[in-house]
Amino acid sequence: MPFRWGMAIDLNACTGCEACVTACHAENNIPTVSAEQASRGRAMHWIRVERYYEGNFPDVRVKFRPVLCQQCDNAPCEAVCPTYAAHHNEDGLNAQVYNRCIGTRYCANACPYNVRFFNFFNAEWPKPLHLQLNPDVSVREVGVMEKCTFCVQRIKAAKTAARAEHRALVDGALQPACAQACPTSAIVFGDLNDPDSRVARLARSPRGTRLLEDLGAEPKITYLQKQPWHEPDAY
Amino acid sequence: MSAIYGLYSDPNVAQVAVNNLRAAGVPDADITVISSEPFEHFEFGHRDARTAMPWIATAAGAAGMVATYYLLGLSQHAWPLVTSGMPVAPLWTNLIIIFEMTMLSAIAATVITLIVTAFIGERGTLYDPEVSDGYILVGVEKTGDAGKLESALKIDGGRVKSI
Amino acid sequence: MNRTLTKPFTDDMVRPVMSTTVWFWAIVLATGTVVASGAAAWGYQLWYGIGLSGKRWPGFWALYLTNFVFWIGISHAGTLISAILRLVNAGWRRPVTRVAEVITVFALMIGAMFPIIHLGRPWLAFWLFPYPSAREIWPNFRSPLAWDFFAINTYLTGSVLFLLLPMIPDFALVRDRSTGWRRKFYGALSFGWRGTTRQWNRLESAMQIMAIAILPVAVSVHTIVSFDFSMANVPMWHSTIFGPYFVAGAIFSGIAALILAMAALRKALHLEKYLLPLHFENLGKLLLLMSILWGYFVFNERLTVWYGNEHHEMAVFWATQRGQYAPLYWTMVICNFIIPIALLSNPYTRNIIGCVVASFGVVIGMWLERFLIIVPSLAHKALPYSWGTYTPTPVELMIMAATFAAMILLYALFAKFVPIIAIWEMKAGDFAHAPRQGLAAADPHRIDAAAPASPEAAS
Repeated sequence: MPFRWGMAIDLNACTGCEACVTACHAENNIPTVSAEQASRGRAMHWIRVERYYEGNFPDVRVKFRPVLCQQCDNAPCEAVCPTYAAHHNEDGLNAQVYNRCIGTRYCANACPYNVRFFNFFNAEWPKPLHLQLNPDVSVREVGVMEKCTFCVQRIKAAKTAARAEHRALVDGALQPACAQACPTSAIVFGDLNDPDSRVARLARSPRGTRLLEDLGAEPKITYLQKQPWHEPDAY
Repeated sequence: MSAIYGLYSDPNVAQVAVNNLRAAGVPDADITVISSEPFEHFEFGHRDARTAMPWIATAAGAAGMVATYYLLGLSQHAWPLVTSGMPVAPLWTNLIIIFEMTMLSAIAATVITLIVTAFIGERGTLYDPEVSDGYILVGVEKTGDAGKLESALKIDGGRVKSI
Repeated sequence: MNRTLTKPFTDDMVRPVMSTTVWFWAIVLATGTVVASGAAAWGYQLWYGIGLSGKRWPGFWALYLTNFVFWIGISHAGTLISAILRLVNAGWRRPVTRVAEVITVFALMIGAMFPIIHLGRPWLAFWLFPYPSAREIWPNFRSPLAWDFFAINTYLTGSVLFLLLPMIPDFALVRDRSTGWRRKFYGALSFGWRGTTRQWNRLESAMQIMAIAILPVAVSVHTIVSFDFSMANVPMWHSTIFGPYFVAGAIFSGIAALILAMAALRKALHLEKYLLPLHFENLGKLLLLMSILWGYFVFNERLTVWYGNEHHEMAVFWATQRGQYAPLYWTMVICNFIIPIALLSNPYTRNIIGCVVASFGVVIGMWLERFLIIVPSLAHKALPYSWGTYTPTPVELMIMAATFAAMILLYALFAKFVPIIAIWEMKAGDFAHAPRQGLAAADPHRIDAAAPASPEAAS
């Protein structure tokens, strides 16, 4: 495996501003649904910021946790797909081929993180919003599952460009939309196969944890846990 | 006259008729017994009972098992796609499909054998609709000595007809 | 059956095929309307998308899959029970087998439709077929849904043949007794059956082999349906008990459906002489046994979760035990355990009415069981932020109602065109207890002596 794309998210730095959510919608042609449909659980956000509250009022602290596809090494969603729509690609990414999907939605059940979304209806892009669609990303039709791809279109473009120029990919030059939009640089993306990359170093941090690690899905996203403000920084 | 037969309401009498025909020198293969139910508790119901059907079903099941094993393995290796860190052709999961296809092959072979031996293989034409009222038909299609056959079939509790 | 009774019995069996009552048309019209409305609802959903159902993030499986498991469960009434009874040569099976096998075939057809109705893009369902295509990709044989495809197809093929083969002699019988288009129609269906000893022997051999082959298939089908759930790492799904638990539940609901069908046919086709209180009593005992077995499995499943006290699973556990789903859960326990045991363990209430009431409860209870397996677990997965809920929509309920109506419609049509009791098997039961040696040892007087209407009553 030449690459093994991974991510580190510093919960100390995350302010819960949801710029990543907006950027992701814009980059990946994720349809927005009406308020009525959203109340019926049809909203799609490939990345979401989960809010958890600790303590009793008025002594309440809020924790933010951006949750997106964890691109698991042993992804539970892949094997259950009867048509290979969900499978592991050569970069270790958890790929979703929309054209193969027949909409059994089994992958969404098997995913412990609930980061897979279903196109309940054909998406509508009221004019002039259709003009802002990203030409590098396919628009999904009714009845298929979709999820975070780690902006695979950007990965492909960067790899192609590097090959054309006969050079290696530079760590940090390639970013998915969420990482690019994050104002506090809480999201770091890179190649885990390169031990010196920023993401690989963060993944080894003592603050590093993985979401629902005990389930054994081997997620490739490392969460750097939030520390109380008075404790010295651990790294 | 191409065929002669007797109709009996009592299987015991039908058995006597079959025995009489044998005594009259008619080979077992030429004796036709037609009934609206299987008489597995009478000797005449067991004529021609030998069949290779269980062996054909077993062989077909084994063939289906081997064929499915290779079908799955070859198709999985033709485009090896990794999912959930599993092997490309894990025997655990393939065994389930191999089992189902084994059983399907055995069932299909049984039914095909039945169609071939009991329907396509049936050449005789001797029949009387009274069979469906519960009568048992005992007869011979190739009539040699008609008088001898008629006396063999003519017993109390039966009617003899000829066509 | 007495020999002299053969003709009246055959007449009783053939009469519903020959004459049509106004009730038949009323049932066809009523259920046909519901089925047509359900088809319209499905068309509506096909046109606009699965969003017309109540499914929502994160509970992507709900009512359709509940009905899928429910109907596949009901299908375990027939072929499985009739194969077991055939192999142990239980005499009382004879009037029951065909009634049961028909349930299997129709319930399987209805059940197998639900995964397709449930698909996001049902027009591509054929991609589950293993065939070399221009896409150069085969189905993923590691997916439990691919196993479902093979298991249900094998079971459906086997069950249809298991039902069809013993019908051929009865078609020949109707052919002999009818005129006009019926004679041609049933003549074609009987494939030139005459009833020679050779044909009978081959048919019996084939049925014996099929009975042996279909038993493990029936067990595997519901085990594989349970794998759809137990293979996924979802709280309270990921359990080794699911295979036997589902098989037991399937047989349980299947027997209940069989009792209901028998009671309805007994009244509608005046089969009081053949479907005796004895048959209901025997099936009632079987239902009682399965009810106890079901309670045992539920206790096992719940106890291990409660004792293990793993917090993801406890969220689902308490949601069903005390929370949002508790009313449904306790209704299920009453319907599946308390009512059947109260009614069926008492010989005074183990009569036809008692069996029908208990069966009605079991059908409702088993439907709820499947709902309670699917919905609360998906609504309470590991991350509490993404907990959800589910409410069915009119489209889903209409499609569900249509399948129940379809079952009644198909059954009514079947009973109209085919003698609902296997005539030749009933006749053959006559000699089931005679000594094997035949003429020499059989008592000729036994056959002509006045026997009860059905000797099975005594066995």
